[in-house]
Amino acid sequence: MSTQPPTDTNANIGLNAGFGRDRIVKLLLDNSVWVLLVLGTAVFNYLSPQYFNPFKNIQIYFNIPMQSAVMGVLTIGLAGTILLGDIDLSCVGMMAVSAAVGVLLFKTFHLPGIAAYAIIIAIGTFLGFINGVLIAKLKTVSLIETLAMNTTLTGVVLAITRGRTITVSNREYTWIGQSKAFGTVPYLVFILLIVYIVMYVVWRRTALGRSFYAVGGNAQCAKVSGINVDRTRIAAFTISGMCAGIAGIMLSAKMSSINSVFGQTYGMDIIAAAVIGGTSLQGGVGKVAGILGGVLLINFIQVGLQVFGLDSYFVQMATGLIILLAVLIDSLRIRFQSRI
Amino acid sequence: MEREIILEVRNVTKTFGSTIALTGANLKVERGAIHSLVGRNGAGKSTLVNVISGVIEADDGTIHYEGTDVTAMSLRERQVLGIRLVTQHASIVPDLDVAENISMGLWTKNKLRLVDWKRMYEKAGEVLEEFGLSINPRKLVRNLTPVEKRKLNIIRALFGGGKFIILDEPTTSLSSEDRDNLFYFVRSQAEKGITFILISHYLEEILRVSNEITVVRDGIVSANMGGIDTHDKLASLIAGENVELVRRDPGKNPAADVLLKCEGVSAAFLQPADTKVHKGEIVGYVGFPGSGAREMCCLLYGLNPKHSGVIRIDGKPVEIKNVGDALKNGICYIPNDRHTDGIVGIMPIDENIGLSNIRSKLKGFFGFLNLKKERDIALRMVETLKIKTPSVRTLVNKLSGGNQQKVVLAKMLSCDPRLFILDEPTVGIDIKSREEILGLIKELTNGGMSVIYLTNDYGELLRIADRVVIFNRGHIVGDMDNVGLTPERVIEIRDGENFLSADNDNKKEMAV
Repeated sequence: MSTQPPTDTNANIGLNAGFGRDRIVKLLLDNSVWVLLVLGTAVFNYLSPQYFNPFKNIQIYFNIPMQSAVMGVLTIGLAGTILLGDIDLSCVGMMAVSAAVGVLLFKTFHLPGIAAYAIIIAIGTFLGFINGVLIAKLKTVSLIETLAMNTTLTGVVLAITRGRTITVSNREYTWIGQSKAFGTVPYLVFILLIVYIVMYVVWRRTALGRSFYAVGGNAQCAKVSGINVDRTRIAAFTISGMCAGIAGIMLSAKMSSINSVFGQTYGMDIIAAAVIGGTSLQGGVGKVAGILGGVLLINFIQVGLQVFGLDSYFVQMATGLIILLAVLIDSLRIRFQSRI
Repeated sequence: MEREIILEVRNVTKTFGSTIALTGANLKVERGAIHSLVGRNGAGKSTLVNVISGVIEADDGTIHYEGTDVTAMSLRERQVLGIRLVTQHASIVPDLDVAENISMGLWTKNKLRLVDWKRMYEKAGEVLEEFGLSINPRKLVRNLTPVEKRKLNIIRALFGGGKFIILDEPTTSLSSEDRDNLFYFVRSQAEKGITFILISHYLEEILRVSNEITVVRDGIVSANMGGIDTHDKLASLIAGENVELVRRDPGKNPAADVLLKCEGVSAAFLQPADTKVHKGEIVGYVGFPGSGAREMCCLLYGLNPKHSGVIRIDGKPVEIKNVGDALKNGICYIPNDRHTDGIVGIMPIDENIGLSNIRSKLKGFFGFLNLKKERDIALRMVETLKIKTPSVRTLVNKLSGGNQQKVVLAKMLSCDPRLFILDEPTVGIDIKSREEILGLIKELTNGGMSVIYLTNDYGELLRIADRVVIFNRGHIVGDMDNVGLTPERVIEIRDGENFLSADNDNKKEMAV
């Protein structure tokens, strides 16, 4: 043969040098949301040390998880459907309807608080199940189906409340949103953590979670491998509905009220949080920890901008720009991964 | 006859991250030649043609086309010069008609800058005639035969001014007649001065059609070797060692117990059929798409709803309504298209291998996945199947084609199959991996497993099958022991109007 093979030593040196650097870059890009969080903290700290220096004002770092709790629970449910390559746009609608019905029943029939909570979760779960059946069995497109569902449910809340605010001041209902476990950790943060731990276990350690990744990665292959694709999709949407129900309890208890625009500020932020957290809209890629990071990042920025006294009319624009930045980083990561 | 060099690749090197895809590649192609590139999956063939066509940029080296240095040119600029890459997955739009596909991007326009439909169809008709293809230009591409689609794809490249056409595996999943047909077409174009680079794993056809053969191995291009005239010589050059072809053991006792029996089983595109599989037997299925062979395989695996008939395993009737039922009965299936049906590319190897067992074998305490067991199974499979990978956590889409197919095999083998259905598992796989897979199949049948092996590569079929079942137009037209069969005979039976199955069955019954 005319050409000489490359000497092994050369090849190996090239290999190792490339590998080390690539690995660090990959690690950073894979966890870009945490990198952004650290970066954000540093920048805010530099700009406004009196608020953001953890040694002077640790309180703000406790506030952010509290701020993130409701949105976090909504986001993880939504993220499960995104992981499948679908999407659930009805999270906010399901949250509002289940909470509104639950609060009304609580007030009308003087139910025990726990019973009201159970009803709210059951309604959310049921609505999610309906979504799942329509999407998996009747093959409706999730984007449109859940959009229609959300419009309907928002309408239902409007009809129930007639545009008024329904207040619920009874401690038996509101304690979960306003008091602290062991006098230190707010119950809302506690719920957030529990939900994320449970979802972490479900995603990583159960057949269902593995099916999420497989169906999202390649639904046809999942089917040929013996995974029940329809059931997997129904499960994902049902979980999303259940999370919406839990979030409904959290938000209504925190606000002591339900109104006709209940939770609507979360609409787009939860999708953004999931995507920033590394969940691929194409499906098959996503990590629970990353999603938590995405939620914290968005809330951190919003809190930060308010602290800086940024005119509230500008906060939304700034949030949008941050999301754009995160999406850019994500596309960089994909390009980098396809290169190696 | 000394011919002019149209393309010259000098010292091209390309690395992807830590992987060296090409090192100092040199290649000279003559005008009007059919120049074949052969080599194993991952050897660097695709990288080489991608560098030539401009899909990716070389790290080092130069490429000259018709005397000009095109190294720094973009894909688009090279297309203008006439360099075209025609890939495996035809880049044609199924829902547009033939003429629209040909003119795409090169629309004939009228004075208002709108598409001049009338002229477009006229022009397409002329083009088709010029290239000797008799298709109605208004026919939807969806309704074309596979070989027509491939030809259309080449015509598209030629119509757009292509003079140097790279064909990446143009004959995958075509029948041998269609392959001949396609190569006749390619050759007639080459005689008109069009140059072709051909990538293929079918060594027979390469030896038959090419003027020159270049072997690519581990990123090294062994340029223009003369004197490669036999299949075996070429095969060992590709593998870098002598490859021994797997053959079935003759004289194996076919009268073992019957494992699976189908009585009057029918489905869409499959007429009621009787067939059986003995224990430890390799049954070769022959039949093109639509012949009923694949329908039968999918039916047995629960992917294709059964219309009538009874399936018996060990004499007991079983219902196979979905894949889960099939797996429970020990029926496993290697799909034809591993990309769409076989692998989840963005999942690591161990999770892919575990996929079919997440609700059975891998369930541990409280129904949680036993990740350790999953990993152990994967490690064992990687070792026994010789899957080349840095780790079991590597994503499957980082592997070469042959290794991906081994991952699919591993997934199914970990389900302890009794009947293993393989649907053209060696398509697009290099010869070394292919023989490894065939060898493994043979070995497994020695352990009592039965195999249904669907293939349209008759050489491969007759080497390995104990019995051959031939499908055509939804019927079983032949069912015979693999004794004294030749590829010609198989084609004869397949196309024969007199259905031999009844005849054959009678004889068998008489013998019993």
